[in-house]
Amino acid sequence: MSGTRTLVHLLSVAMLFLWAGVLLYFYSSGRLINYLPPDGIFRPMVLVSGIGLAVLGLFNLLTMGAEDAGCEGHDHSHDDHDHDHKDCGHDHAHKHGDCGHDHSHDHAHGACGHDHGKEHSHEHGTCDHDHDHKDCGHDHAHDHAKKEGCCGHDHGHHHAHSHEGHAHGILDESSWPGRIAVLLILAAPLSWAALSTPDRYSANAIVNKGLYDPNYTDTSRAEQFSLQNKVKNVGQPVAATTAAKVTPDKVADQPPAMVSPQTLGTAGAPANPANTPPPGVAAASAAAAETNTPPKNIPAPAQASKSYGTFTLEDLKKQVPQSKEGNFILEVPELYYTGGDVEVQKVLTGQMVETVAQILPEKVNNADGHRLRIFRMLVQCCAADARPYSVPVDFGKKAPDFKDMTWVKVVGKMGYKKEGTQTVPIIEVSKVEETTAPDNAMIY
Amino acid sequence: MIFLADLPAPSRMGDILMAFLSIVFEGAPYILIGTVFSGIIDAFLPAKLLDRVLPKSKVLATLIAGFLGLVFPVCECAVVPVIRRLVQKGLPLSCAVTYMLSAPIMNPIVAISTLTAFKEFQGLSWATAGNATMTIARLSLGYLVAVIVGLVVMRFKPGQVLRASIANKIANAAAEDDHGHVHAPAAGFNGKLVHAMRSSMRDFLDTAMYFAIGVAITSVFNTQINQGLLNTVAGNDWLAIPSLMGLAIVLSLCSTSDAFIAAPMTAFSMAAKLAFLVFGPMMDIKLLFMYSSVFQRKVVVSLLIGLFILIGLLSGPWMNLVQHLYIKP
Repeated sequence: MSGTRTLVHLLSVAMLFLWAGVLLYFYSSGRLINYLPPDGIFRPMVLVSGIGLAVLGLFNLLTMGAEDAGCEGHDHSHDDHDHDHKDCGHDHAHKHGDCGHDHSHDHAHGACGHDHGKEHSHEHGTCDHDHDHKDCGHDHAHDHAKKEGCCGHDHGHHHAHSHEGHAHGILDESSWPGRIAVLLILAAPLSWAALSTPDRYSANAIVNKGLYDPNYTDTSRAEQFSLQNKVKNVGQPVAATTAAKVTPDKVADQPPAMVSPQTLGTAGAPANPANTPPPGVAAASAAAAETNTPPKNIPAPAQASKSYGTFTLEDLKKQVPQSKEGNFILEVPELYYTGGDVEVQKVLTGQMVETVAQILPEKVNNADGHRLRIFRMLVQCCAADARPYSVPVDFGKKAPDFKDMTWVKVVGKMGYKKEGTQTVPIIEVSKVEETTAPDNAMIY
Repeated sequence: MIFLADLPAPSRMGDILMAFLSIVFEGAPYILIGTVFSGIIDAFLPAKLLDRVLPKSKVLATLIAGFLGLVFPVCECAVVPVIRRLVQKGLPLSCAVTYMLSAPIMNPIVAISTLTAFKEFQGLSWATAGNATMTIARLSLGYLVAVIVGLVVMRFKPGQVLRASIANKIANAAAEDDHGHVHAPAAGFNGKLVHAMRSSMRDFLDTAMYFAIGVAITSVFNTQINQGLLNTVAGNDWLAIPSLMGLAIVLSLCSTSDAFIAAPMTAFSMAAKLAFLVFGPMMDIKLLFMYSSVFQRKVVVSLLIGLFILIGLLSGPWMNLVQHLYIKP
C-alpha cells in the first residue's frame, strides 16, 4: 500500500470508530431513551450496529496489510498489456465521459504537474463536471508503466483508477480537498450533534410539530391510548373507517349483553351501528352515518366524536389507577383520545383526573386568557417523528404564569366542550403545581 | 433524567441537532446492514450467478423484482448500497431500480405498520380483507409505480443512468472474459473476507456521507417549519396531494413509521395520504443524496420529477379504484 492509501484506510477506520462511538455512547448512557422507543427493535439495533461498526473498523485495521483478494490475479507485468488501460475501466485516451473517473466530486486535477500536452487527445467535452485538473499531483505523462505494483498504480492519486476491479469509495477516489470535505461531512454534524444535543425539543419545535392542531378523533394510536371496554370490544371493529362495514349479520352475532339501550344515541353523536340491536336498523344507520362511510376522495374535516362501544365507570376504574384522593391518573394522550369517544366522555365528565405534562400557552379559543395547554410528546419510531398530544387546561380565571415547557402536575375536573367541529377534552383545574420531569420525557 | 441538568438548554439549533441524531440512530443501523450485505455480495456473489437465476425476459424479471421486498424486506436506507453492488454484479438496471423503489413499500414490516396506523387490523379476515383499504392501495400503487419506472429505465443503457464509476464496473465485468485480468476475487475465503469488509467499509462511508447531508437538511425542515400550515390547503385536492408529497420530501421519514404520521391528518383525503405514503419511501431529501451515490445527477432529478408527477396523478384514481373494489360487504 502506498502512503496515501494507508492514510485513507486509517481515516476510513477512524470514521467507523467515530460513528460506532456515538452509537454506543448514547446506548450505554441511557440517553438513547430520548431518541428511540425503549421497546421494539430500534434501540437494540443501535447497540448491535455500534458493535458492528466497531468490529468492522477493527477488522479493517488489523487486516490493513493483507492483500485484498481483488488485487490478486491482477496481472501487472506490464509487458503483456500494453497499458492502454482500456480494460481496467480507466481510459487514458481521456474521454472523460466514460472513463472511470468519478466525476461528481470535482477533482480539480489542475495546476498539478500534469502534462496534458502529450499525444493523447483530451475530449473533456463529454463530461458535465468541472474538470479543471487543478491541484492533484497527477501525472498523466504516461510513462507510469514502470512504477506500479499490485493495485498500486500510483498515479499520484487514485481516483477512478479502480485497479481492484471494484469501485473504491469516495475517499479513495477523491483528491485531497474532496477527501477532507467527505471526512468533514461524515464527522462534523454527528460530533456536533452528539456533543451539544439538548436531548429534548424546544417550545418552537413542539409548536411546529402541531401543538395547536389537535385532532381528537384521530385513531392512529387509539389502540394504545383510548379507554375502551376491553371485554366487549374484543375482535370487534371499532375504528371509524371500519365501523360502517360491519354487516348486519355481525351485529346479530354479538352477545345481547353488549347492547345497553341507555347508552345509545347520546351527546349528538352519530348512531352507533355496532350497538343497534335490529340488523335492519343497524344497516340503515350505518348508511346514514356519513362520517362512518369509508372516506371518499373528498377531504373530510375533523370529525365529531363518535361511539366505539359501551363504557362504564367500572370499566374506567378497572383500567385506570387512582391516586389516594381518588383522582384518575391518566396520561395526556389518553385524555386526548377521549375527545373522540362519546361513551368514554359520558363516564369521564365530572370525574377528577390527574396528569403530569409540560405546559405551554394556549392559542386556541382562549380570548379570555383562562387557559393553558399541556402536552406530552408521543414517539413512533424516533424522536424526529414525535408529535405533541395536548389538551387545554382551564383555570376559570386568568391563567397563572408558567415558564414555557415547565413540567406540571395538573389535578382537575374533566369536561367536554364542542368547539368548532371537534369535542375538546378540557381539564377544569383545581390544582396545578410544578414537578420534576418523568424518566421518560417522551411517550412511546 | 440525571443528565438533563448538564445538557444545553433547548434551542432552535438544539431541535435540529436532536432531530438529526434521532434519524441517524434510526437509519444508521440499517445502512450498516445494507453495506455489510453489499460487501458480501461484492466479494462472494459470482458475477454470472444472477444471469443464470433471473428469467431471460427482462420484463418478467422486473415484474418479479417488484415483489422481492416481501422476501428481503429492507427499508430505503439499506436498499441503496445493496443495489449499487447488485448492479455491478450484473443485475439488470430495470430490476435494480424496481427493487430499490418497491422494497421499502412492498414489505411485510411496512404492511403491518400501515395496517396498525390506519386501524385496519380490526375485523380483518378473508371476508373483509377489503377493510385494509389504505394498506392495499399503498402496496399495490407502490408496486405499480416501481415497475413502471423500472420498465422506463430498461430503455436506457447503464452508462446513461449510472454514475460513471459504477457503470464502468459493469463494462469491466463484461470485459473480464477476454482479458487476462481476473477481477473477481479469486483468492481463498480469507482474501474474499478482507475484500468484503473493505467494500463494506467504503460503502458505509459513501452511503453515510450522503445520508448525513440529507438528514442534516431534513432535520431543519422537520423542526423549523410549522407543519400545521399544510392544513390550509388540505381541502383542495389539486393542492393537497402535491403538498403532502412535498411534506414527504422534507420530512424524510422511514417507511416503517410514516404511516403513523399520515394517519392522524384527518384534514387530508385518503388519496393525498396515499400519495404521501407511496412517494415518501421512494423519494425524499436523504434519498436524493443517497441515490446520487449510484445514479447520475440528471437521473436523480428526473426520478424526483417523474415520481412526483406519476404518483400525483395516480394516487387519486387508485384510491377510488381500491375503495370501489372492496367497499361491498
